Amino acid sequence: MSVVVANGLTHRFGSELALDSVDLVLDEGEHLAVLGDNGAGKTTLLRIIATALRPTAGSLLIAGRDALRERRRLRRYIGYLGHAPGLYPALSALENLEFFCDLSGVGREEAHDALEVVGLAASGRRTAAELSRGMQQRLALARAILHKPRLLVLDEPDASLGADVADLLGAVMKDRTVVMSTHDHALANRLCPRTLVLRHGRSTGTATRLRVVR
Amino acid sequence: MRNIQVALAVARKDLRSEWRTREMVPALAQFIVLALVIANFGFAIDSRNVSSITPGVLWFALVFAGLVAFGRTFAAEREQSSLEAMLMTSASPVAIFAGKALAATALLVVCEAVMLPALALLFGAAVSAQVVFAVLLATVGMAALGCMFAALVARVRAREVLLPLLTLPLWIPFIVAGGQAVQSAMGLPGSYDQAMGLLLDLDILFVVLTSLGARFVLDE
Repeated sequence: MSVVVANGLTHRFGSELALDSVDLVLDEGEHLAVLGDNGAGKTTLLRIIATALRPTAGSLLIAGRDALRERRRLRRYIGYLGHAPGLYPALSALENLEFFCDLSGVGREEAHDALEVVGLAASGRRTAAELSRGMQQRLALARAILHKPRLLVLDEPDASLGADVADLLGAVMKDRTVVMSTHDHALANRLCPRTLVLRHGRSTGTATRLRVVR
Repeated sequence: MRNIQVALAVARKDLRSEWRTREMVPALAQFIVLALVIANFGFAIDSRNVSSITPGVLWFALVFAGLVAFGRTFAAEREQSSLEAMLMTSASPVAIFAGKALAATALLVVCEAVMLPALALLFGAAVSAQVVFAVLLATVGMAALGCMFAALVARVRAREVLLPLLTLPLWIPFIVAGGQAVQSAMGLPGSYDQAMGLLLDLDILFVVLTSLGARFVLDE
C-alpha cells in the first residue's frame, strides 16, 4: 500500500518558486532520501509531506487520506524532525518528552522508551539547555517517534549527531516509512534504497542506490 | 476532555519554565512598582483625589505590563521553534492557545498580586475585594485578546510595535468598564454591578471570538 502519493507538489514563497511540480509515491516501509544543494527545495518538500506547510498547488495523499484537508488527523501517523530541535531549554529531557506525550495523547511511559532508543536514558534529568547540540538533536528525534508514527519525515537528521549516526537512524527508521533529507550521500546510500534528487525545486528523478563518487 | 488536558499541559509547561528561569515575573513586578512610584511623584495625590487618580494609574500599569507579558508568550515559542513542534502533534490548536492564555493570565495575576498591595501602600488607596474581582475579571478577556494578537504577530519582525497597535484599541472597553468598576468600588459615583456585568459580557465575547480565531491564527 502507498503511504505517500504526491502529485504536482508546487510551492511558492512570494514570487520565488521553491518547489516545482514534484511527483512522488512511497510504499509502506520504504525509505527515501531527498538530496540536493542548499535551496534546492528539500525542506519545503519535507515540510509539505509532514503537513507543516500547505503547497501552493498539487495534491498529497498520506495513508490514503487527503493530507491537505485532514492535516490534524494525519499528524497521529506522522513524526517530523525539523531543522531546529524545538525544545524547551528550562525543562529536562524527560519533561520535554512527557509534555509532548500529553499533547499527542500517549502515555508518559513512552518518554522513557524514546529516550532509551536515542541513547539518552542516562541524561533524562538534565535540562535541554545543558545538553550538547548533538544530544538535543537526539532528544528532538525521540520526540518525533514518541507517538510511534508510521511515517517519519526527517530534515537533515544527521546534523550534529555523532559517529554512530547511521546505527541510531537505522534503529529509529526500522519498520517505518521514511522520507529524509541529507547532504551526506554515503549515509543516504546506507539507509535509503531510494533517492530523489532536487535541483532548483524540480525533481531530477528518483533512483535506487547511489553510486558514491569520492 | 482531551482539549482540557492539553490546555493544562501547555499552561503547566509555561509556568514551570517561568518558575525555573524567572524571566518575566520579576521584571514585570519591578516595572509595575516603578510605574507606581513614578505616578506617586507625578501626581499630587491626597485623600481627596486618591479615588479618582488611583484607577487610572492601576489600569495604565496593568495594560503595559500585560503587553509585555502577552508579547512574550508566543515570541519565545517562535524563537526556539517549539510552536511548530507543538502544532505538529495531534493536539487542537485551540487547546494549545487556551493553555498559553491560561499561563499568561496566571503570570499577570501574580503581577497584580504585587500591584494591588503596592497601590494601597504608596497611594493609600482602599483596595477592597471588589477592586480585586474587577481586576481579575478584566484580566481574563484582556489575556484572551492579548494572546490572540501575540500569536498573530509572533512571526512578524516588527511584533513589538504591532502588538500594542492591534491590542490597545480592543482593550479600551475593558479599561472603561474596569475603570468604572474600580472607581465605584473606591467610593466614587457609578454602578459597580453594571460595570462588572459589562466586564463579564466582554470576557465571554472575546474568549469565544479568540477561541474561534485561534485555529486560523495558529494552524498555518
